[in-house]
Amino acid sequence: MATSAPVSIPIPSGPALSWQDRIQRFLLRDSTLGYLFLLPALLVILGLVAYPFVNAIVMTFQAKTAGAPGRFIGLGNYRELLASEQFLRTVFNTFVYTIVGVGVKFCLGLSMALVLNQERFCNNLFRSFLLIPWAIPTVMSALNWRWIFDDASGLINNVLVRLNLIDETISWLSNPHLAMLSVLMVVVWQGTPFFTMSFLAGLQAIPKELYEAAEIDGASVLQQFFYVTLPRLRPIFITAVMLSAILTSASIQFVYILTNGGPSDRTMIFPVLSYNLALGGAQRLGMGATVSLFFFPVLVVFIIFLTRRMLREKEE
Amino acid sequence: MTPSMTTSRRALQAIPGKWGKSTKLTLSMTTSRRAIKGLGNVVLVLMLLWTAIPFYWMIATSLKHDKEIYGYEATLIPQQPTWDNYATVFRETPYLLYLRNSVVVAVGSTVLSMIIACLGAYAIARLNFPGRAFLARGLVFTYLVPTSLLFIPMFAMMSALRLTDSLHGLTIAYLGFDVPFCTWLLMGYFKSVPVELEEAALVDGCNRVTALVRVVLPLALPALVVVTFFSFTHAWNEFLYAHVFTSTNSARTLTTGLANFMSQDVFFWGPLMASTIMSALPPVLMFLVLQRWVVQGLTLGGVKG
Repeated sequence: MATSAPVSIPIPSGPALSWQDRIQRFLLRDSTLGYLFLLPALLVILGLVAYPFVNAIVMTFQAKTAGAPGRFIGLGNYRELLASEQFLRTVFNTFVYTIVGVGVKFCLGLSMALVLNQERFCNNLFRSFLLIPWAIPTVMSALNWRWIFDDASGLINNVLVRLNLIDETISWLSNPHLAMLSVLMVVVWQGTPFFTMSFLAGLQAIPKELYEAAEIDGASVLQQFFYVTLPRLRPIFITAVMLSAILTSASIQFVYILTNGGPSDRTMIFPVLSYNLALGGAQRLGMGATVSLFFFPVLVVFIIFLTRRMLREKEE
Repeated sequence: MTPSMTTSRRALQAIPGKWGKSTKLTLSMTTSRRAIKGLGNVVLVLMLLWTAIPFYWMIATSLKHDKEIYGYEATLIPQQPTWDNYATVFRETPYLLYLRNSVVVAVGSTVLSMIIACLGAYAIARLNFPGRAFLARGLVFTYLVPTSLLFIPMFAMMSALRLTDSLHGLTIAYLGFDVPFCTWLLMGYFKSVPVELEEAALVDGCNRVTALVRVVLPLALPALVVVTFFSFTHAWNEFLYAHVFTSTNSARTLTTGLANFMSQDVFFWGPLMASTIMSALPPVLMFLVLQRWVVQGLTLGGVKG
């Protein structure tokens, strides 16, 4: 913010100011105008984020169904959740889902970025193409993949049968051992381009001179990668991983459309459980809110860290 | 690699006395570089296949007759391509209604959030008032809070305000994400507009409002395009709120509408893939056109994962 020192407005100052001038002067003062300009944004944040958030915390202490006022039950929701095997499984799944998903996206994204950073014929075309999965609405990707995994006529079973690799079709999404793997494949397919884009931008920002200097010093290609490329990309790594961790763990559509948490909760992650408890059948809004709130402490650490980072980056 | 690379190598070779060593170095460098290039090409081909196959299957399915889609006659390549599935989508499903709803909500929330965000971002970037650093922090923070933490109380609130199952309600709900995000992105761009230009405008008789409209906004035009792209595609792609807040076709957007198709009919994959392709096309085309700026914006603010 130091770079953009706010300008002061030249307002004529004299003893004889009519009341219109006074009002105009007041309205055009930096502080008045600042609050005035920010008012709509502030209302949106208060009404659509802050208020619901506080409300969510209140709900966790209530037995509340849709349309009816909540009844205070203290820590009842928390106790019930901690005693439920489904919830414990959800916690475990959410961590596996997020860590494996983000990890694989990271590795594939980095290799894709390195490959696209090489010079070759039609490279821009390849880059655009590889980034398309990011631009497709996630629901559309999920629907497409559900059809690819289809038990009877999906692409994978279709090909495997043709190649005589299997006798009976595989139930990718309803087999307890394969479901999580299958869902993660989709997460990786959709999410890798985000990492590719971030890393590629980072790679292109590394000055060529650094590599030349390293080469003159006799560094091998591998050494150049470990001592020049990786350290330079570190800040981008951290931002991308945290952002992706928040959004991967908290987005509902892949699991909801592919398996809805099944078979027997093998792919249940917290947003889906929260949705199912709150809006699927029993409509226990309090319980649903409690599930989400349980994960907030983990998320908030990431969110605060990222907020600091992003503000610092912007000020530089 | 680059011309400058060759120059540096030539410079290295020109150093007398180090001649022999540098030749060896260059040779091994060339070999390993060639090996890496080869490896890169292999990885690229694998990645292209991995990305392309799902697209192919989506397109192929949408062009097949049912008997090529299901059962023992199923094919990998459409033998008799047909547009029937597309015709079915328009004739027998509420696709056009969903499409209209998506357009209304996406355009509405984009326009509203752009106006709110331009004002807010300008205030934070340019005006000096107590608490602006705190507000900037609050904006980033709210943008990072995922909707899956908020949809339950939001649902209760929308029901209480009778805003469920309405396009107004959905448009307003999306502001909760779009406004903090757009403000945040625009803030960075506004700061990069030279203060001197604005000072000149102020001296020439503009006030803050006219300076914003006549000087800052035209200069930040590329930024406005990127921010429009992000908030439009966000509203277009959003699923959770759309799914939770709507219950009839009159307000369903494409995402929740198509997800609903799935549960209705078993033999629906042909038309479903056709509608999926059509729904994915607008954001994909926008992305391809605006790619360079989108990537720039992405690294500036960090968008969805």
